[in-house]
Amino acid sequence: MRFSSSQKKHKLNRAAVNLSSMIDVTFLLLVYFIVTTVLPTPEDLLTPALKVEEGTSISIDDLDPQIIEIRLQDGLPLYVIGSHLCPDRESLAVVLLSLPTEPGLIVRVNNEVPVAFAVAAIQVARDANFEKVTYVPVN
Amino acid sequence: MTPMIDIIFLLIIFFMVAAEFAQQARLELHLPQEKGESLNDAQNTGLVINIRKDGAIILEVDSPPVTIDALDERIKAAITGDNAPWESLLIRADQDASTTTLNEIFRLLNKHGLSATRIATEVP
Repeated sequence: MRFSSSQKKHKLNRAAVNLSSMIDVTFLLLVYFIVTTVLPTPEDLLTPALKVEEGTSISIDDLDPQIIEIRLQDGLPLYVIGSHLCPDRESLAVVLLSLPTEPGLIVRVNNEVPVAFAVAAIQVARDANFEKVTYVPVN
Repeated sequence: MTPMIDIIFLLIIFFMVAAEFAQQARLELHLPQEKGESLNDAQNTGLVINIRKDGAIILEVDSPPVTIDALDERIKAAITGDNAPWESLLIRADQDASTTTLNEIFRLLNKHGLSATRIATEVP
């Protein structure tokens, strides 16, 4: 059986659907979204207790004998525990490991200290197994 | 060829949706790089209080900063009728922000009788 030339042409056209361009575009889209998507970074929590000193009605003895004070000295944050002055978290961790954990720990944070240093103190206290860590904001 | 194209389209849809959710879920902040207490419940939160580096308080993504007075009202509304109200609040503070705003917020929480708080950290 012989086909006419128009029938042959019709069959050729149906077989010549080319998907290469669409696949190229699709791959480009895929690469674009892979590169530009920023998946959320994992977050966790610290859960300190809260206490506010109201005037002079609460003395240090009422709160707890173990107190870290975080303040700025010469523009740099400083952790102060009694007579110990700790310029970084490593030295703070060493001091905390020598303290009893049962009474808990007070973290007094002065204004103007970067948040990272206050949070670091809470984390170091938790790592040193202090069950009760209390955040006290200080003016 | 068809299954491959299907998979690629599904991947594209996944990344488009993931990108959208990532933008909407949280305000972009540089949280303190700490491992936290491994509580894994950072998502179980009613009110999220974001503190930007400049000290501005943001409650919702794409919303303007709020004042302490406005925050006071929002906290009051958020903790009403809850048994453990402090667990319904989350504070996300930029690591370079000053504690001045954070301390103000903690005084506010204490005023409302909250005995503890939750501070978000970024797991390094």
